[in-house]
Amino acid sequence: MEQIIANGLYLGAQYALIALGLTLIFSLMNVLNFAHGQMFVFGGFVTYTVVAKAGLPFVVGLLASAVILAAMGAVAEVFLFRPVIKRSKRDESTMLLAAGVAFFLDAVILLVFGEKQRGVPKILNGVFNWDMRIIMPYDRILIGFLAVALIVAFIAFMQYSRTGRAMRALAQDRMAAQLMGVDVDRYSMIGFALGAMLAGLVGGLLVAVTGINLGMGGPTSVKAFMMIMIGGAGVISGAIAGGFILGMMESVGLTLLSAYGDITYLVIFASLMVFLAFRPQGLMGKPWG
Amino acid sequence: MTAILQVKGITKRYGGLTAVNAVSFDVQKGEILSVIGPNGAGKSTLFKLISSFVPTSGGEVLFNGTRISDLAPHKVARMGVVRTFQETTIFKSMTVRENIIVAHHLRSKSSLFGFFIGSSQARADEAEFGASADEIVDFLGLQAIRHELASNLPQGHLRALGMAIGLATKPTILLLDEPFAGMNHDETMTMVANVRRLRDERGLTVLLVEHDMPAVMKISDRIVVINFGEKIAEGTPAQIQANPKVIEAYLGSEDAAIGL
Amino acid sequence: MKTSKKLGLALFLLAVFVLVPVMIAATGRKDLYYTLTSVALLSIGSAGVWLTFYIGRINIGQGAYALMGGYVSAILMTQAGFSFWATLPLGGLFCALISVGIGVPILRLRGVYFAMVTLVLTEVARLTALALPVTNGAKGITSIPLPGALSIGGVTLIPDFATMANPKLAFYLLAVTMMVASYAVLWRIVNSRLGHLCRSLQQNEELAASIGVNTAYLRVLVYAISSFFGGISGVVFVAISQSIYPSSFVVTDSVNFMLYCFVGGLSYVAGPMVGTLLLYFGWDLLTVAKDYQMLIYSSAMIALMLVLPNGVLSLLDRIGGKK
Repeated sequence: MEQIIANGLYLGAQYALIALGLTLIFSLMNVLNFAHGQMFVFGGFVTYTVVAKAGLPFVVGLLASAVILAAMGAVAEVFLFRPVIKRSKRDESTMLLAAGVAFFLDAVILLVFGEKQRGVPKILNGVFNWDMRIIMPYDRILIGFLAVALIVAFIAFMQYSRTGRAMRALAQDRMAAQLMGVDVDRYSMIGFALGAMLAGLVGGLLVAVTGINLGMGGPTSVKAFMMIMIGGAGVISGAIAGGFILGMMESVGLTLLSAYGDITYLVIFASLMVFLAFRPQGLMGKPWG
Repeated sequence: MTAILQVKGITKRYGGLTAVNAVSFDVQKGEILSVIGPNGAGKSTLFKLISSFVPTSGGEVLFNGTRISDLAPHKVARMGVVRTFQETTIFKSMTVRENIIVAHHLRSKSSLFGFFIGSSQARADEAEFGASADEIVDFLGLQAIRHELASNLPQGHLRALGMAIGLATKPTILLLDEPFAGMNHDETMTMVANVRRLRDERGLTVLLVEHDMPAVMKISDRIVVINFGEKIAEGTPAQIQANPKVIEAYLGSEDAAIGL
Repeated sequence: MKTSKKLGLALFLLAVFVLVPVMIAATGRKDLYYTLTSVALLSIGSAGVWLTFYIGRINIGQGAYALMGGYVSAILMTQAGFSFWATLPLGGLFCALISVGIGVPILRLRGVYFAMVTLVLTEVARLTALALPVTNGAKGITSIPLPGALSIGGVTLIPDFATMANPKLAFYLLAVTMMVASYAVLWRIVNSRLGHLCRSLQQNEELAASIGVNTAYLRVLVYAISSFFGGISGVVFVAISQSIYPSSFVVTDSVNFMLYCFVGGLSYVAGPMVGTLLLYFGWDLLTVAKDYQMLIYSSAMIALMLVLPNGVLSLLDRIGGKK
């Protein structure tokens, strides 16, 4: 029991971080970032390159992932999403663009990093063992705590910094924010960069534990979509709740349902459908987003 | 005269807030009845309750003795209770005529499959809808913009189109949501005349929710006044104008000078 | 205008049924059969996705139905001895039926919410295929027989594919016949009252309800037709490859179906067909670029989005002067 909860929290912290980035981009620009999973994978490979190839410390790898992905997000917003949003008649057009970016990133990852599974040497050795009730390697614990710390930092940033407050105003009411003098273009760019950075950071964290490969991008996006559906799209608390709920469900499912084969996700999806039938806007979302 | 629509103690609560509180009144067959009230009095919610676009928290609305509250909106429309919209709600990428034709849906005798294979019934339906749409266009004086794309229309025409869409369903009672909002004096007068003709020439019963006092006084047979979600008066325009409670309600609100 | 359209249609049919096979026979490029058959089948799936777009829903779950249809056919043929020709409609109907069950709750969702659920659906279909005993897990179902003879009342309409000298041509003809039929249905839907109601739904659901349209029913009906298209395309795909695995249709395929519609143009009935042809063929041609295939492909797609945000067919409007 304790083991399931510990696993769930560990997974949930990472998931919440991924969902936060996705929901931030969605709330600011109404763009469903299909490329989020690919950004996550890209971040993982950057950390891998810095740590395993260049032999630099893990922290440097994480920083590199954050910086490179933030730059990538900013570029995507300024040169791709912004012009398309301004010109196209239908909201859906940005979906095509996002899917195109996802394919593009897949291609770049394949060319630059190859398709092999990659990982970095263990950053911490040893296994935590509490009376056989919770067994968890120290590196996982460290990564879990780092993820939680990042979530806390992100919330604090959104809550107390000038930039964070401007972005929240923008997410709540674009028109009103504009009237209040918020520079929409600037904060859309920052928001996109920040969202991409979060995805990259999680990739960097994960490469230290389970490693990362090219094929993880798509499924990660799918999971992130599920999380923000559970919590409610565009809501910070919803993303965090969704991340932890999915992490916990996965942990419980993998333990209890393993006897029946790999049906955890089937059960999760079925419950999600029932849930959405009663609460289409998710736990904390606004009706009809 | 018989009551065609009965509103019985209808109530709507949002969380702890009561938007509409136990409002009751009858609409007689063939009359034009207006619901008025100051801003935020609950007119809009009351309108949505009557047209069954939001579920009730209490009470009910009867149409010809049958309960229509909490039915799906399309079922209410099917019974002959049809609403128009306050905002410029139309099918934007269709022409005026196409808008009206598509709104004839309730009158189709052919099934959707019949339409798909182009059965003779379906073709007869389409011909009938076309003729009927042209007739409605003529009735409301929309000939000049018949083939105009709806998204290109000015405000006044949009409102008329909204009414045309409502008429196409051949309603027994038409519920108009602020039909004069955003109109200038001339447009308002045309609209007033049109609403009167709906009743006089087509025998429709009309219930409207409105803000524009002079127009309401001119058009209505009877008026129901609500304030803070409750009914405070009911009567003919003359009775309402002389009612101290109504005057107080309007003077107490911010938009005092609206023609009383 | 009317005659020019008829002429265009006649030319199209001539090209598809006569010219292509003749050209392939002349040049000996038999590999093109597989490519073109795939294009035809994929455009059937995209036709379904396009139809859901037509009621204002972004459908990224068509891969799930293609997979479902494929498995239904494979299971019926290998385990219950059904003929391929019986499983073709059955696979489609099964998908339509399932889509009603799934559609009732999820079609209430709009915009990105619906899009996300359908995307997840594709992944769930794959996981279901992995988990169920009847689908044989990751090993999939293999050695599925080729379509047998189809005869009605003793008259053989279509001979057994296994005895044919050129089954590739037969599959090609089957696929394009189905494609032409599907697009005829699509065209008819769009140009009949059903299509007008779909447009009313796409433009304003509340107003549609107020004029008495049973919006919930219409949405489910359209989604079921859409899923039927997805199902039958899956059935034929499986018949060609004679095998099916849980990964035969994945999230990428679902996204592709949606992209085909976008690239062709969401306001043109032929849009999904043109989009499928362009993207699939483009992808195929780009195999010469080897490692850079994906990079060029995705860059081209992004460029297309920037230049023609309303689809390739919007070029026709520009030429025609309709702004």
